[in-house]
Amino acid sequence: MNDLPKQKETTLSFEKIKKDILHPMQNHKGLELWIVFLIAVISVCGWAYYIQLKDGLGVTGMRDYVSWGLYIANFVFFVAVSLVGMLISSILGLLRIDWITPISRIAEIIAVAFVAVAGLVIVLDMGRPDRVLNVMIHGRFQSPILWDVTVITTYLTVSALLLILPMIPDLAICKKELTKASPIMKKLYNILSLGYINTPEQHKHLHKMIRTLMVLIVPIGLAIHTVTSWLFAATLRNGWDTTIFGPYFVAGAFVAGAAALIIAMYFFRVNYKLQDYITDLQFDKMGKLLVAVCLVYLYFNLNEFLVPGYKMKTGDDVHLKELFYGHWAIMFWSSQLLGNIIPIILLVYKKFRKPLPIMIISLFVLAGAWFKRYVIVIPTLLHPHLPIQNVPENFVHYYPTAIEVSVTVLSFALVLLIITVLSKIFPVVPIVETAESKGIEVKIDA
Amino acid sequence: MKNTIKNIAALFLIFIFSGSLANAQGWSVPSSAKKKQNPYEATAKNISSGKKIYNLNCKSCHGDPTMANMLPLAPVAPTDLGSQNFLVQSSDGEIYYKVNKGQGAMPTFEKTLSDEDKWMVITFLRSFDKNKKERQQVAEIKNPEVTDVKLELKVNEAEKNMSAKLSGVTKTGKRVGLQGIEMSFLVKRSFGFLDVSGEDPYTNEKGDVQIQFPKDLPGDREGQVNMLVKVTDDAFYGKLEEARVVTLGVPTDPVNPLDERAMWGTRANAPIWIIVTFVGGVVGIWSVIFLVLFQMIKLPKLASKQD
Ligand code: HEC
Repeated sequence: MNDLPKQKETTLSFEKIKKDILHPMQNHKGLELWIVFLIAVISVCGWAYYIQLKDGLGVTGMRDYVSWGLYIANFVFFVAVSLVGMLISSILGLLRIDWITPISRIAEIIAVAFVAVAGLVIVLDMGRPDRVLNVMIHGRFQSPILWDVTVITTYLTVSALLLILPMIPDLAICKKELTKASPIMKKLYNILSLGYINTPEQHKHLHKMIRTLMVLIVPIGLAIHTVTSWLFAATLRNGWDTTIFGPYFVAGAFVAGAAALIIAMYFFRVNYKLQDYITDLQFDKMGKLLVAVCLVYLYFNLNEFLVPGYKMKTGDDVHLKELFYGHWAIMFWSSQLLGNIIPIILLVYKKFRKPLPIMIISLFVLAGAWFKRYVIVIPTLLHPHLPIQNVPENFVHYYPTAIEVSVTVLSFALVLLIITVLSKIFPVVPIVETAESKGIEVKIDA
Repeated sequence: MKNTIKNIAALFLIFIFSGSLANAQGWSVPSSAKKKQNPYEATAKNISSGKKIYNLNCKSCHGDPTMANMLPLAPVAPTDLGSQNFLVQSSDGEIYYKVNKGQGAMPTFEKTLSDEDKWMVITFLRSFDKNKKERQQVAEIKNPEVTDVKLELKVNEAEKNMSAKLSGVTKTGKRVGLQGIEMSFLVKRSFGFLDVSGEDPYTNEKGDVQIQFPKDLPGDREGQVNMLVKVTDDAFYGKLEEARVVTLGVPTDPVNPLDERAMWGTRANAPIWIIVTFVGGVVGIWSVIFLVLFQMIKLPKLASKQD
């Protein structure tokens, strides 16, 4: 760093990196329009939520059988995607894998946005959200719900810290460079940069903190999705009553998270013109990573369906037949084929790991992951071990209502809004780390 | 309970077999089987216990004898086993054979009912046979026509037994004991009643019946249990029963499963290990988080140190 020989071009390059990364944050016309659009969507869908709040959960399609519907499926999906933060910036970061440098911040932004909204989705699923604190006040230590709420809050906190701490040097740059920023933003940069001027002591101190959090987030990340899976596995129900649900969910989360990251990488690369930073190399590596996690997930799926499918225990049989060739077959097989098996086959070839093809494949993987969650949550609920006698017709089917769909759209819009706003106020590619990894001298003025 | 399961199983069979029943043939009973004799006498006791067995095993399909209220099964509905037609045509041996073998939706009772039980049912059915009046007379023994039937209980707590006396007032105004009537002694448990009547709960010629209360039946803290004593068969004198709290059970401190530390308990009764894991995890992880936050404050100071 400071002891590197000074070279004219490299100083220039640092200027260029700063300019390349900071420029789109302030001069991107489409971005404001996009934010306005998202806010409009949120407002419209907010109306649907208002109706649900006013009239109660009866406006949803959920009844006594299916009491976890679209919302919980969506919740599980959001939690899954958020796990990418732990995978990329922590696991790969601790392994000192260098190609993640330019994309680790995007991963962290995705993690923060998705886990924050995941927590919110739970509140949206409550008939009396004003009683949400009762989970903490009266929660039982034996209930996975208390663990889930705890671990999600913790993961959100640590993810936010893992977003901000590595960004401190960049924020110091923002403070200096973004002269056009609003006074509030300037103040924010000023506070968050914590007087960082890249002295060796500061550098060392900061990285010690970051490494501590990187280690810390591994058990929390594993816990968040394991506990979420236990919400299901701790009940005695066909399709949920399985011992591999924890690792199964974690593996599935890596798939969903990696796919989401690839899509986000693509959009930032194109819209922020970051081709020099988020290069083909990153897509190629992410493609290989996606194949790896997909293969693990495929292996878990094989276990999860082949073994019970071979035995066809009473109770399980109805559930499995509904999945394999009954009512849920199309959703089940398309999530398995389009969302996992075909992507694995395609991504083995280098030409499919180019930015555009892999982004499109990732869209399928992500959609498949979403439908996979839906197929995990709802069909099981439709086949209780003790069916209600003379059950009303609308208990035994579940179709999400327009209200539920709108509220779910709201949650997606909110995630996108958080990602957009974060990427508008913070540099999406780490400036200082990128420079350091290229051996360019970093200079931050006090 | 067991018989309920049997009945449910039988109902399943109906559905399974109803297809193959479409071309059901008549019964073919070997003539040797037809000649088989009922070794049991048509006493009131045998008829009464036959009725009990019938109600548990046959009534769900065949309905009440002589009432023709059987299940409307297709293609062959169960016969009204109390109808004169049927009783005239069938010998005891024939009924016995059919009950053993079954046909179509009619289940086989070869293994599920004992021989004695089957003969009791046949005895019961035969009591509807008008051609066998003389036997029925035997069955409806000696009890005179009475009014104001009374059921009195006596409990001997030391000996752990109890007796019931069934009596009625004759036309001449005399109160007499009623004989040969089956009584049921039932103890209330969490789910339904436990029958403690024993082998021979029939009133003697004085109208008395005594039963021995089980020695090991748990009661409440004081050993109290809720008893219900009744005339088993309402057909004789209408519904006649008497409820009583008796101190014949073994005094037992009730265990509330919610009082112990367990996964299903309230929060206050959570297992220690899960509280320790949760609190330990939360405190451990959040201390690290606060430690990091605290370290952040040091960062600005380190800048000036450089100068
Ligand atoms: C699951 C319903 C069911 C139960 C329980 C049942 N039956 Fe039947 N039973 C039938 C049906 C149906 C038939 C007519 C079968 C046929 O003729 O093909 C029948 C026929 C009979 C017959 C022959 C009637 C005749 O017309 O020849 C006898 C005797 C009989 N049952 C006795 C009994 C007795 C005794 C029991 C109880 C121990 C009993 N059944 C329980 C359904 C039942």
